[in-house]
Amino acid sequence: MKHYSLTYFIGQSFKGLWRNGVMSFASITVLMSCLIVLGGFSLLVYNIDVNLEKLGLLNEISVFLELDLEEEEIVSIENQLKSIPDVTKVIRTTNEEGLEQVENSMNLDVSEILDDYNPLSEKFTVYYSDNPQNVSYEINQIEGVRKVYDRLDLAMQLESFKNGIIIVFIWFLAILLIVSLFVIINTIKLAVYSRRHEITVMRYVGATGWFITLPFVFEGIIIGIISSVLGFFIEWYAYTYIEKMVTTQMKMINVIMFDDIKLFVFIGFVGIGILTGIIGSCLSLSKYLKS
Amino acid sequence: MIDFKKVRKAYPNGTVALHDVTLHVDDGEFVFIVGHSGAGKTTLMKLLLREEKASSGRLMVNEFNLSRMSNFKVPYYRRQLGVVFQDFRLFQNKTVYENVAFAMRVIGTSPRMIKKRVPAILNTVNLLDKIHNFPRELSGGEQQRVALARALANNPKIIIADEPTGNIDPKMSLEIMNLLLKINKLGKTVIVVTHEKSLVDYYQQRVVTLKDGEIIEDRVGGMFEE
Repeated sequence: MKHYSLTYFIGQSFKGLWRNGVMSFASITVLMSCLIVLGGFSLLVYNIDVNLEKLGLLNEISVFLELDLEEEEIVSIENQLKSIPDVTKVIRTTNEEGLEQVENSMNLDVSEILDDYNPLSEKFTVYYSDNPQNVSYEINQIEGVRKVYDRLDLAMQLESFKNGIIIVFIWFLAILLIVSLFVIINTIKLAVYSRRHEITVMRYVGATGWFITLPFVFEGIIIGIISSVLGFFIEWYAYTYIEKMVTTQMKMINVIMFDDIKLFVFIGFVGIGILTGIIGSCLSLSKYLKS
Repeated sequence: MIDFKKVRKAYPNGTVALHDVTLHVDDGEFVFIVGHSGAGKTTLMKLLLREEKASSGRLMVNEFNLSRMSNFKVPYYRRQLGVVFQDFRLFQNKTVYENVAFAMRVIGTSPRMIKKRVPAILNTVNLLDKIHNFPRELSGGEQQRVALARALANNPKIIIADEPTGNIDPKMSLEIMNLLLKINKLGKTVIVVTHEKSLVDYYQQRVVTLKDGEIIEDRVGGMFEE
């Protein structure tokens, strides 16, 4: 493409946006809202995932053994745990190590109080990749296992909460994207209508279909860029506000800093914005592209 | 060269606008296409502009076979044509210069070439002194001369004028016709579609008369038969 043609396309695109100011404003507002909602949901899901991982709720089971087991029996249980399908790692914590952890966490010498008696049992931490219910069931079948803390209920509750958010998010996103496309298509159609005489003359003097349609595609791209940049800054402001609120009032929740992810958010916003603009323009111009 | 061979055009509603028309126009000819409403003049124009495709027969314009040409090639074919309309179709918000330059810009001509060529074309149609005027500041005849300049902008081989004098007074009509003859003398083929009997009779050029979709007369130095 020659540089003077590119200058012409961009100039025409801005003229078109200005000429149909109300529709252009509507397109930008709707697409921007869509991107903010999309970004908001994505960040929420991402934060839930990070917190779940941090809590270790999803792929970890604590197994406590009977108190009077011999070392051979403990090793045998460890081997049985390792042989369960989907188990990826088994870590043993001896009762001495357990007592040490308690002492460290409470910052006192427990052995003196207990008179060298250790009331803790041997513990295994079992990590798994999939099928938590099955893994938990298999562990419970092993002889010598006293108690199993799988925290599956909590994990499943959080998982279903996350899945619920994703379903709502997908529907919301689909509806907003369709509305955005619809508004962009109408904006471009209006732009084509207001330039119909120009287009007729262009066709008669031998302008190619691409030359006629590219200014409108650029118009869609500009709508996408403006929407995404505005949406990004609003998202940034809103997220930082919520981040401050959560970190001061709900300290146990770990919130990802916006600075750590802003580049990804920006690329995502601009990418989706431009893509939506191009698709909207091409859909409304399909008949010109064909002829 | 324009060559119609048994060209027939039927529309989807069943109307047959042209019946096996055969017509040959050599390079550099000046031809009036005349006929009353419904004679088939508009359809003939549309076929030449490749707005419509012939239902049967063969239509060749220079090296382009319009009956078989793909849509992709249409813009390149149209660059060989210069079209003038009855209603001028000028952009009211552009100056005379910009109106002519527009036709060059949209086919990718460089700004340097546009700057060089537009004044030369406006000189050909005697409008150099109005180069910075807007169409609303010009008379009907002058506006049609701008349209003619725009048609010449891309140096076409053929000029097609659809009722070029339909919107202007008789004195200006003569001026436009004289300009078309001048352009014809520069070596361009000129096709004028009109129903103005006085002009056709005055200029004594080749006249092709259409009636009910058929050519009923084709005579050099002919008259507009009522």
